[in-house]
Formats: sequence, C-alpha cells, structure tokens
Amino acid sequence: MTVLVTGSTGFLGTVVVERLLARGVTTIRCLARPSSNAAPLRALASGPYADRVQVTVGNLQSARDAERAVAGADTICHLAAAMRGSPSSVFLDTVVATSRLLDAVASSAVRRLVLVSSLSVYGLADVPVDRLVDEGIGLETHPEWRDVYSHAKLRQELLVHEHIARAALEVVILRPATLYGCGRPLLPARVGLSGCGWLLQFGASHMLPLSHVSNCAEAVALAGTGALPTGAYNVVDDDLPTVDEYVRRYKREVGHLRSIRCPFFAAMLLSGVAERLHVSSKGRFPRVLTPYRTATLWRGHRFDNRKLRQAGWTQLISTRDGLARAFDDRGVRHHVALRRDAHVPEPTATSPAELAPVFSAAVSTRQ
Amino acid sequence: MAVCDREPLMAEQLALRHGIGKWFSDVDAMLDAERPDIVHIATPPPSHLPLATRAICAGCHVFVEKPLTLCHADSQQLVASAIVRNRKLTIGYGFYFDPIARTLRRLIAEGALGEPVHIESVLGYALSGPFGSCVLADDDHWVHRLPGKLAHNLIDHLLNKVAEFMSDRPTVQARAWRRADDTHPASHLLNELRVMLFDQDRSAYVTLTSHARPVAHLLTVYGTKRTARLDFEAGTIIWSSPAALPGPLGRLSCIFGDGIQCFREGTQNVLRCVRGDYHTLSGLNFLINAFYESIRNDTPVPVSYHEILKVAAISDAVFAQLGTEHSRVA
Repeated sequence: MTVLVTGSTGFLGTVVVERLLARGVTTIRCLARPSSNAAPLRALASGPYADRVQVTVGNLQSARDAERAVAGADTICHLAAAMRGSPSSVFLDTVVATSRLLDAVASSAVRRLVLVSSLSVYGLADVPVDRLVDEGIGLETHPEWRDVYSHAKLRQELLVHEHIARAALEVVILRPATLYGCGRPLLPARVGLSGCGWLLQFGASHMLPLSHVSNCAEAVALAGTGALPTGAYNVVDDDLPTVDEYVRRYKREVGHLRSIRCPFFAAMLLSGVAERLHVSSKGRFPRVLTPYRTATLWRGHRFDNRKLRQAGWTQLISTRDGLARAFDDRGVRHHVALRRDAHVPEPTATSPAELAPVFSAAVSTRQ
Repeated sequence: MAVCDREPLMAEQLALRHGIGKWFSDVDAMLDAERPDIVHIATPPPSHLPLATRAICAGCHVFVEKPLTLCHADSQQLVASAIVRNRKLTIGYGFYFDPIARTLRRLIAEGALGEPVHIESVLGYALSGPFGSCVLADDDHWVHRLPGKLAHNLIDHLLNKVAEFMSDRPTVQARAWRRADDTHPASHLLNELRVMLFDQDRSAYVTLTSHARPVAHLLTVYGTKRTARLDFEAGTIIWSSPAALPGPLGRLSCIFGDGIQCFREGTQNVLRCVRGDYHTLSGLNFLINAFYESIRNDTPVPVSYHEILKVAAISDAVFAQLGTEHSRVA
C-alpha cells in the first residue's frame, strides 16, 4: 500500500507520517515543496525507514509535479494548504494546488483521498449557539465574508465534493479544530486577538475547540489506512478547556500576558465599528473584525466528535497532558530561554521508538 | 466590472472577495462580452505586451503594472500601438505619485532645491514578506524567469524616481549579486543590485537591497541650494539647508531643525491617517484617479511615454551589463 502525504513537512504532516508508520503502512511517499525543510523526512528515508519512506520534491501548483507525486499511490492524505500570506498565495497553495491534485487523481489508480479540511467551513452565523455542531450542519454560504483561510478551505472542500461526483473515489474529509502542540503558537484566533503581549479575549465560558496534533494525525492515519468509512468527520478532542481556563493557564504556565476580556455583545459592537472603518477607509483599514466573522468564530459553538469516536478514533494524548506539554515547552523557552527537546513523546506502544530522535529534530528545526 | 485570470479558481475568488459579478478565464472572451473602457493588467511581466496589445486593439485604455514590458523595444512597440489607436496607456508607478514625491516635484519646480546635483534611490526588499516568501517557496515562480529575476520586477520603483532628473542617455554602471550568507535554495535570484548613472553634471545611485535592515524606501535629492530626504515608509520629507549660524551653533541648529521638521511631518501624517490617506498605496490611488481623469477629459496621461521609455532603456542597459563593464544607453 502506497500512501502519498502532501504537506508532509508541515506541523501536522510530520506527525501524520509518524502515525502512518506506526500503523504499518508499507510505503509512504512524502511530497515536499522545494523550499520546505525536508531534512527530517530525508533522514527517515535514508535511515531506519529507507524501505518505507520516500521523499518527493514538487509543487502541487504544477500539474506535472502533481502527476508525478500521485503515480502509483493507492491513497492520498492531502494536508497541503497555506495558512498565511497574501490572499492570492493562500488560494494558490490551497485551492489551485488541490485542483491540480484532483486532476492528477482522475487519471491515476488512487482509490482513497483523505482531505484535511477545517471546522471553519461550517456556516455557523445563523446556527443557535446551543446547537451541537455535527457533520450535518450546512457549509458556509458566505465564505467571502470570513477570512481568506476559511474561504480557501471551503473552496478546497467544495472542489473535492465536485470531484466525488465525477469519479469513483473513496473520500474522507476531516475537519480538525484548532491544532496545538509543541512548536505551535499557543494563542490561536479562537481565543481572541493577540499581539505585543496583549490579548483581546473574546468570550470566557465557552469551550475552546482544540485538537492535539497527535490526535489529529491519528485520525488522518486511521482514514489513510482505510479504517474510517467515507464521509466527513469533526476532529475535536474531549475534555476541552473554556477560553477563561485556557488563558489563566497560559498566564500561569507560559508567561506574562495582559488580557482584556471582551464579552460577545461587546465583540459584536467592536466588529461593527471595525467593519465601518474598513468600508469608510475604502479597505485601507484592514478587515480584522467583522460582525459576521465574530458570529461564526467567537459565539461559543461546541463541536461534536461522536461520529469520529464511533468510527474507532481515540484520543492518543489527553487534553490535559497535551496542554501541559505544549505550555511547558513554551513556558520553559519563554522564561529560561533554554532550547530543549520539544519532542512529543510517543503516545502508544505501537509507535516505533526509533522515530523519536528524528521527529524531535523536526520540531526543533521548525522552531 | 469583471475580472479575468487564466486560472478560473483565482478569477472566481477575486470576484467573490471584491463583490464583482463576472469573472472570466479567457481575456478575449472577457473583452468580447464586457467591452470594457479600461483594462488593468496585473499579470506577470512577460504577458504585458500581448495582453495590453489585445486590449488596445479591442478599443480599451490600458493600465499596466510595472515593468511595462520586458525590454525597451517591446515598450516602444506598445506605446506606438496605443498612440496609433488613440488609446491611453499608463504604468503602475505608484510611488512616483506618493504625496511626498508630488510635494518634492512641486518644490523643485518652485526652485526650493536649486539645481539637482546627485540623486540616491534606495529600495529595501524583505524576502520574508508575503510576495518574497512566495518567490522563494517556488522555484518555478515567474519572477525566476524574468531576465533580471527579482531585480527586474522591482527596478522600475527605483529608476522612475531618478530618471526624471537624468538625460535620455546617461552612462550606466551596474552590479548585482547574491549575498554569500544567503543560503536559501531558491535564492539564486539577484538580491543585491547597485546602479550608478552619470550625466555631464549630474549623477544618481540606485540601491536595491534585500538584506539591509530596516527595510527602507528612500530618495535623497542633493541640490545646489538644499537637500531633500524622502522616506516613503514614514511618508516624510526632511530638508537639509546650509547652516545659518556659525560653528557649533550652526550644527546644533541643523539637528533641532531636523527635529522640528520631523514633528511637523509627523503631525501632517496623523491628519493623513485620520483621512485614511496614510498608506503605501496612496500614490497608486492618485495615479489611477489621474489616469481616469485623463481619459474622461482627453488630457495627457499622468506618466509621459517619454519617461516610461527612458526607464525601460536604462533598465535594458542595467540588465545587459550585469557582470560586464559599464555601457551607455543606446
């Protein structure tokens, strides 16, 4: 079985490769962009897993590279996406890249596609806050009113849906919550707006939808090895903290942070003012906040992971342990300025112990 | 209004994000269906000549992003095409119309500077920025296929601010290199460029740097009476005048004079900020409005074709001699 992993050098990608190895996949082809740091994967490919890990350099915006990467693969775990940059580069790296990949899949022997999408594809502006958001909730109808990342992820998912209609392909769509782990910023947008040691905290008592990178990678590996039936799945951890609990813990364990708590109605008012400024300045004031985005992102919706759990997924790292490791890593670096091994220890006995040094190197390199 | 991109997904997202009702992936289809009055061309430079020519032939006025084309001969051809078909053509020299650049031009015309003696144009470029990181991340990025690579895409910003002070045939000496400490795999592009221009009684230095910090965007014009220092990032003009007082008092008065000017410029920029006009694209907004006005009123275009072609000729001379000795613009 050959599994192609796009975005394999990214935060999630390296851990997905690890989980696929742990699940016994015989051949893992890692697609890395020419500018990506593929050294940790190359170390695997030339070392202990030389017979199981291949590194292919290419850019999915190139049809030729996409065809070359897809050739001979049975399954694709499509993780590649841009999280930041100009709107055009986010669309190019996320949507156009997916389009090229799907074109290549159409003329290949690929049987299964696992798309890592996002919870941000749901249209939540009109969904009551007490409604548990499961996979049956409709997709966003006004992605252009959201941020560019959400817009691109939705378009990417719609492309895949269009492709399913045309091709006989098993498709699993995973919609992860905010990923966290060592080496990742610990004040995600769902907490609020942060910068210069300040946090404008939106909400207090609602659950923060998080997924530890290892837990999400396990879902991808399950899907990639055929253990998950086709369909869409929310990937959200259990025992999640509230925004208040998270911020308190951040202050206690990571470092000094000045925060201003902004209740939802105040966030909506602020967003209204910010949008007016954006419009009156003819776009020169950045579109940081809009009432629509605030209503979808910070109203406090809770996400349902029962479908994924019923399909066999279990959380490899508890939220308590995951946050402790991530906060501890950040806290040590913040206060002591010591560079320490940021490796996430192997959560299960099924994982090969030899992977540890390689992946700790990967995490260290990213920092 | 309509947008067009060869990649339909990109055209679609642009239209959706900006509330534009129609998008196309074929420029001829767009020109036929929409029959626009004005076409803005913001594609990679190699496509400027064919796209602009098609738009002009379809009866459109054309706004082309810099560089106008890849070389002087192509630019001449495009300008000739616009003149023959009585269509207006301009180029995206946004910084040339920045408020401080316009102020400088006005004051020079009033004689505040005296005769320009020497001009220095500096542009810093952060390769880690949104565009730079895209270029570095993609070995196949169109920037790598330009004859002068990254410098080719940026040099107009530097040259258009000095060309107006120079004759049509300055002596050009250019050097470009990649810094040894730049180890990025895709950075075979030339990321440091120096150009010296000489006329009989005037000179200009042009610096493109992607390593100097802070990333600066400066123009200094040394005149026989005074010197003007323009900071396009801060949006300020600071004038240096000969000291009116003798000895240390004169030197101190220069420092305090600079401080007073900084305070005044800062105050003006606060007001510009309140008006929503304190941003790097202010000059581009002015240029677009001026171009549209020139079409409405059938008046001359904001950037003369002579200046456009002068910049293209100097640019040709620069890229022709990288790694060789200096030459004169043909």
